Amino acid sequence: MSSSVEAPDLVCELDNVQGIVDALTSVRWKRHQDAVLELSEHGIVIIVEEISCLQAKVYLQRELFVRYEYGAQGRPRFGVSLGLFVDCLKIFSVPGRSNILEIQYPGPDMQLLLKSLDSLDACLYAEIRTRIPETVSWDYSFEPAGSIPLSFTVKSAALKEAIDDLEWPGSSIQITLQPDPPSVTLRGEGHGDLQIDFSYYANSDLLTAFSCDRQISHSYKYKFLRATTSNIPSSVIKDNRGSKLTIGRGGMLKVQHLVSVAKLSVPHTHVDSAGYQQPSRIAYIEFFVKPEVEDDTGNDS
Amino acid sequence: MKFKAFLTENGINLLEKRILPALDKMGKVSHLYLTRDHAIFLHNLLTGHGIQSVAQFKKEALFEDYRISSQNDDKIAFSIDLSLLHRALRSILTIYAESGEAHNPPEFNFGRLQIKLVKKLPPHSNQPTPFLTFETKGSKSAVIQDVPISKPLSRADVQELQMALDGAQEMPKTLVKVPELNSLQNFVDRMKHVGDVMGVSISKYGDLHLQMSTTLIRLGAEFRKLMVIGERANERPEDGNLSAQSRTERAVQRGDAMTVQVSVKHFFKSLQCSLARPDCAFYGIAPQGSCLTVIFQFFIPGTRQTDKSISLHCRLPVLDPGSN
Repeated sequence: MSSSVEAPDLVCELDNVQGIVDALTSVRWKRHQDAVLELSEHGIVIIVEEISCLQAKVYLQRELFVRYEYGAQGRPRFGVSLGLFVDCLKIFSVPGRSNILEIQYPGPDMQLLLKSLDSLDACLYAEIRTRIPETVSWDYSFEPAGSIPLSFTVKSAALKEAIDDLEWPGSSIQITLQPDPPSVTLRGEGHGDLQIDFSYYANSDLLTAFSCDRQISHSYKYKFLRATTSNIPSSVIKDNRGSKLTIGRGGMLKVQHLVSVAKLSVPHTHVDSAGYQQPSRIAYIEFFVKPEVEDDTGNDS
Repeated sequence: MKFKAFLTENGINLLEKRILPALDKMGKVSHLYLTRDHAIFLHNLLTGHGIQSVAQFKKEALFEDYRISSQNDDKIAFSIDLSLLHRALRSILTIYAESGEAHNPPEFNFGRLQIKLVKKLPPHSNQPTPFLTFETKGSKSAVIQDVPISKPLSRADVQELQMALDGAQEMPKTLVKVPELNSLQNFVDRMKHVGDVMGVSISKYGDLHLQMSTTLIRLGAEFRKLMVIGERANERPEDGNLSAQSRTERAVQRGDAMTVQVSVKHFFKSLQCSLARPDCAFYGIAPQGSCLTVIFQFFIPGTRQTDKSISLHCRLPVLDPGSN
C-alpha cells in the first residue's frame, strides 16, 4: 500500500529557482488560487484556471532541470495552493547566489517535497500538502480559426502597458486584427472609450510579427485580459521579449509569454540587451481567454 | 537623585549607529537603568510580555566623568522613548558633521556632549517634568536637546527591575553558534508568510532546527555541526541519514535536544539585533524550556576577543504548544 518504499514518480533538481518563481508569479492573478500540477516524462505543467473563463498553463520542460528522473506510469496530477507553492519556492531562492533545489513527488503522505541541496550542514525543506484535483478541467482546446493563423507578436512591455491603460474604460475590450493595413486595435468601451492601435508598418519594433488574412474582432472581459499580463514580474518585462497573441476558432484568445530560467552566471540585475537565451532554458506560459458571448457584448455596449 | 556624564565619541557612535537601531526593533519604549558601573537598556522585563532584551554597557563603554547618586544605592531607572533618544543623538552627530571639518575631531569645534537628568517646566504647564538632556557647548553656541522620560521608578520598582534582570541572566546549558545571521534573517523573513508559530530545536550535537507546520505545509531549516558552548554530546552516526524531523525527534527522546515553540514575529525581531552588528550570535533554550535565549557577542575591534564591556541578549517567550 505504502508508496514510500517505491521509487517516487518524480525527482528533479533545479538550479534557478527564481526563474520558476517568476514564471509562476505571472499566472498568480488571485491571492488564493489552486493549481494543478501534471507530471510527465517531458516536464511539469502547472495549470491554473478561473472556471470556464480563463486558463493559464506554465510549461517547465525537463531541459530546465539539471536532473529529471521520471518513474511514473501515465501522467500523475495533483493540486496544490499556488500561493503557498510560490511563497515556498521564494524561500529557496537566495538572491545573488546559485542554489540547487530538489523537488520530489510523492512524499510518504502524498506531499510535494522540496529540499535545498546547497550544503551538507544546512538544509531547508518543505513538505506541501497536495490534494486530488477536482473534476476534469474545462475544455480550453485551442483550434486555429483558419488555414492562416490569426496572430501577432508584440513586445511584452508594450502589451502590458496597453492593457493597463485600458483599465479606465474597463469592462469589455474588443481586439480587432485587420490585414489591410496590417494592424491590431484594442478598444475599450465602458465609462468612456479608449482605443489603442498597433500598426505593423508604423511600429515594426513594437509589433514584431503579424499574420492575418481577414478582419476579425472579438471582445474579452477586461479583468481576464488583464490577468494575462498584470502579474508578470518587472524583471521579466525588462527582458524585453515578445508576447504572442493568437485568436482561434470561436474567438478563443491564446496569449503566450516566455520567461527565462537561465542559470545565473551574472548578477540578477544584469539585463541581456539582446534578450537571447538558449531555447531550452525558457519557461513557456500560455493563457487562454474565452471571448464574451456576442449577445452579452451587445447588451453591455 | 543626580546623574551627569559625558558621552564619548565612541559611545555616541555605538548608540546611534548600532545599538539604538537594533533596540528600536524590540519596542519603542525601554527602561534605561543606570547604576554605579553600568547603563542598561531593558525591554519588557517588568511586563513579562513579549520579547525581552537586555543591552548592558560598562560605563566606560559609553561615558566619561560618569557621576550618579540616588538614595536608592545610586540606582536610577526610568522609561524612555528610543526613537526620540535616537533622533536626539542623530541630530547631534549632524551638527558635529556640519560644524567641523572632516579632519578635525568634534571636540575641536564643539565641547563634549554632556548628558544629564533634569526636571524642567515644559511649555504650557506648571508641572515640572523629567528630561534626559543632551548639551553640547561650542565656542560660540550651545545646542540643548531634551528627551522626555518617565518619572524615575520607585525604589520598589527598581528592586523589581533588578530582580527581573538577575532572573534574565539564567543561561541555557547548551548554546549553538548561529551561521550567517543575515541569511537566517532573510529566510525567517520569508517564512513569516507561512505561519505564526515556529518550533526551535537545539541539540547538544550542534544542530539548530527551525520548523513551521500548518495544515497545508511543513517548512523547516536545519543547520548542523554548529559550534557548541556548554553541554555537548557526540552525534550518533546512525542518525546521519535520517530526515531532519526524525533526527530531532530522536535527539529529544535521548534528552540530547530540546524543542520550544516561539512566535515567528519574536524570532524575527531577535534576528534584527544584527543591526547592532554583533560579531556572532548564539541560540540556546533555557532550563525547563522556559524561554529561547539569544546571546550576541561583540569583539574588541580588530581582535577575536570578546568585548566584555558590552552585552546584548534577548529572551523569547515560549508559547504553549496548544496555542498554534
